[in-house]
Amino acid sequence: MLGIDEASLALVDDLQRRYIEALDRRAMEAWLDCFSQDADASYFCIAAENVEGGQEIALMYDDCRARLTDRVTFITKVWTGTFQPYRMRHFVQRIGIPTLDHGKLCVVSNFHIAITPEGGSSNLLAVGQYEDTVVLDRGEPRFLRKRAVYDTTVLPRYIVYPF
Amino acid sequence: MNAPIQWPKAVNEIPKAIFTDAELYEREIETIFHGAQWHSLAHRAEISKPGDFKTMLLGRMPVIVANGEDGKIRVFFNSCTHRGNQVETASCGNRKAFECPYHRWMFRTNGELAVCPGSEEFSPGFDKKAYGLRELRTAEFCGLIFATASADTPPLETWLGQVAGTLAGALGGDGRLKLLGYQKVRYASNWKAYSDNDGYHAPLLHVGFRLLGWQGGQGSQTPTPNGHLAFESQLKPIVNREFLKDPSLIDLKATDPESGSRIAQLFPHTVITKHMDVINVRFATPISVDCTEVHYAYFAHADDSEELVRHRIRQSSNLLGPCGMISMEDASIFNRIHIGSFTPGNAAFQKGVKRFDEVGFDVKQNDESGNLPKWNYYCELMGFQRSEVA
Repeated sequence: MLGIDEASLALVDDLQRRYIEALDRRAMEAWLDCFSQDADASYFCIAAENVEGGQEIALMYDDCRARLTDRVTFITKVWTGTFQPYRMRHFVQRIGIPTLDHGKLCVVSNFHIAITPEGGSSNLLAVGQYEDTVVLDRGEPRFLRKRAVYDTTVLPRYIVYPF
Repeated sequence: MNAPIQWPKAVNEIPKAIFTDAELYEREIETIFHGAQWHSLAHRAEISKPGDFKTMLLGRMPVIVANGEDGKIRVFFNSCTHRGNQVETASCGNRKAFECPYHRWMFRTNGELAVCPGSEEFSPGFDKKAYGLRELRTAEFCGLIFATASADTPPLETWLGQVAGTLAGALGGDGRLKLLGYQKVRYASNWKAYSDNDGYHAPLLHVGFRLLGWQGGQGSQTPTPNGHLAFESQLKPIVNREFLKDPSLIDLKATDPESGSRIAQLFPHTVITKHMDVINVRFATPISVDCTEVHYAYFAHADDSEELVRHRIRQSSNLLGPCGMISMEDASIFNRIHIGSFTPGNAAFQKGVKRFDEVGFDVKQNDESGNLPKWNYYCELMGFQRSEVA
């Protein structure tokens, strides 16, 4: 059972580390494994401008576990060879005190993603906040819902990987 | 200084240097973006209520598209008529009035100057009526708002010509739309490389289509002499739905497969698509010779059920944008064309080309030659002479 105690927060912080480590390695199966097995497990990547305007269009709108799986398939099987590879480094910091809702922990973190395209120099890809709902799944904390709300009004390029 | 660009005699070739030449880019801004063309800046659904506004660039010129208290949509230069300060900085919002913070001049949503403190000390004969926000010529088609900085631009219906029917089809038939939101991105590409490749291209690029067993249906491609291009095609059902764990994403809920795809590509570089259940206007802006900003604005139809709106949000978010399942590869091509264009010589169009001495308007659905009337128009507009030596 997750709570607002040091042990639970350490587990949640470890989940965030697993998450960004998976993306920085571009290991999409490991990314998927950060989400709960629940059929409603979801990931959204959306512009803060849309959220503030009450608009739901997202850059990535995976509102069920099946969509998360399809995203992995597209990145690892369909798009191979069509895009210029790029590395990412994610920097995440949990902010504020999480809240507890029926055994689910709601956590807000800032994120900052640096990008280095193949053969290029490093730049800022996006900054924003993760709004996460964390549950215990198979004995470990996993995301039931993760929403990456990016401040970057205009993204500097096309996007392959989740934030 | 670079050698002058030589435009080749053969109409199926274009010089690669036009994508990378900074001096030419400056001339294009003046001739095309500040010149006698209509530029789509907003759809009425984005600014549906009185006081709603949106800021954009028309070429380099900042503009405000504002829905006035009187319900009329106008386009103004986003520059105070006093000392030229940018009046509005937000990308969109709702205002009772636009106030310039520099000397507190305040403009009504219809552009009139309402307040200018201290005017008793202004120059002799100062008249507030003469200092409203400068308004541009504006016209509307199916809710799409166009503006032009030139008095010489022909009437909008004339300018749209044959593309009008496809454009209406892409905008839900009657243009009664509801805004769903935006995806905004910059591409490391000249605006012409973006526009030349965004509208439609050979399906070979899209592995996603192939894996889904998704063949396009019968269709047509119609270029106009002034650089527009209209595509209409059927959408055939997807064969390998089991390739996806969640095939509901690619359902057709609002669309008759017979009229599944409608794409209007307007000169110089706006693309309006209705593909599957996605209604999308791509508002593009040239930022520099090697950077183009695109705002993908997505819409539902005003009469849609709540369930249909939800479906459009899912499909629009995931299918055809800058990381869409089908379109992510497009974006990578824009960038690669730009890089490749720094090499000497010409790019050549092949598929559908029948002769070298004049462009043809009789093009088939997947012909590359559909882009050539636009290039011919551009060549004439920019004053290039075709030359044997190139």
